[in-house]
Amino acid sequence: MTISHHPPEDLLADFAVGKLEEAHQLVVGVHVAGCPRCARFVRAIEQLAGAALEEVEPVATAPDAFDRVMSRIENSPADITTPPLASVTDHDDVPPALRKYRIGKRRRVAPGLSMRPIELSGSGKARAFLLRSAPGSRMLEHTHTGTELTLVLEGSFSHEGGRFGPGDFDYGDDEVDHRPIVGDEGPCLCLVAMTGDLRMNGLLGRLIGPFVRL
Amino acid sequence: MTRRFAARRSIGASKGPKAKVDWADLIGRVASHHDREAFKRLFEHFAPRIKGLMQKAGCSPDEAEEIAQNAMFAVWRKAGLFDPATAGAAAWIFTIARNLRIDSLRRRARTDRLEAVSELPDAPDPAEPADAAISRGQDAARIEAALKQLSAEQIMVVRLSFIEERAHPEIASLLGIPLGTVKSRIRLAMNRLRDILDEDT
Repeated sequence: MTISHHPPEDLLADFAVGKLEEAHQLVVGVHVAGCPRCARFVRAIEQLAGAALEEVEPVATAPDAFDRVMSRIENSPADITTPPLASVTDHDDVPPALRKYRIGKRRRVAPGLSMRPIELSGSGKARAFLLRSAPGSRMLEHTHTGTELTLVLEGSFSHEGGRFGPGDFDYGDDEVDHRPIVGDEGPCLCLVAMTGDLRMNGLLGRLIGPFVRL
Repeated sequence: MTRRFAARRSIGASKGPKAKVDWADLIGRVASHHDREAFKRLFEHFAPRIKGLMQKAGCSPDEAEEIAQNAMFAVWRKAGLFDPATAGAAAWIFTIARNLRIDSLRRRARTDRLEAVSELPDAPDPAEPADAAISRGQDAARIEAALKQLSAEQIMVVRLSFIEERAHPEIASLLGIPLGTVKSRIRLAMNRLRDILDEDT
């Protein structure tokens, strides 16, 4: 897998310090997990954060803080048990990071286009979903009212920014006019985080627009 | 204010006698011997710093206290997973605190929505390796070397902007430089770090 499109550095840095909202954290995280180059960058930021932790002005903890932590330690089982992964039936080949999430039922959005919402905690504004489009389909011309982070999991799509295959990361905002074309080799499965609405351009878009509450 | 920042400008320089303590070794002792004395030293050093950093990043004192205690509890529990070849002790502890902060934000959102608390997953640990292919030890050395090539000025803006989560105008007034310089310096630092890390790929 050759990854040629990466998240911008400031997004990776925000990811490394845990500042991204949940949907963005998820999409960037899945990219980073499969991209040694970005993983290295993230670890460099974590290293800087570690240095900051060493040098920050300490703030005294509660007087009984240590005792409380020790008593928790004494009252908890010795081994870390990792909970078994929830069994996932009917899953697209979702990456391991996604299997921890509840993923909703597939919903048809338009011909050749379906989505499955990913259940988040609700702490952020962006939604996350899996988007599956049929091979060779031309996605509707659209613009965004917010930002859209897209990670290709399977298949590919192309637009004026280039070709995006598995592992590739695409960043769209309201200045980008997208008209992606899905590659012929198979369906394209993407993990998407989106704020704002998708606005369809053109007559067809206006006709189906009301249904496309992605 | 100015003096405080001038003092902290010397990142990466000698940090005084405290820097002599081998935190990684203490974590190792917690892992291998459940060494309470070692843990106490880790606690006394890191818990107040976690609290300090979390407050700087916008947590209330109560939240910061909770994260500090939970993080130290996790340090004890996860000590066996710490790999000094992969990350420094402080960076590893930072990632633990960071994940707890993410969890607490989400838990609060869930509670606000009055949803069943146990149903949703914890934050995935971004530091967990799905990237088993990387030679991690080599990586840590490369990262260490790369960071040394950044200037103190570059490290300062990255820290203020990303780790202390300060807005660009605030950074400009703290450092006494124009807003445009803050933005370009952050961008340059990010690009430089990326370039250095890419060099011997």
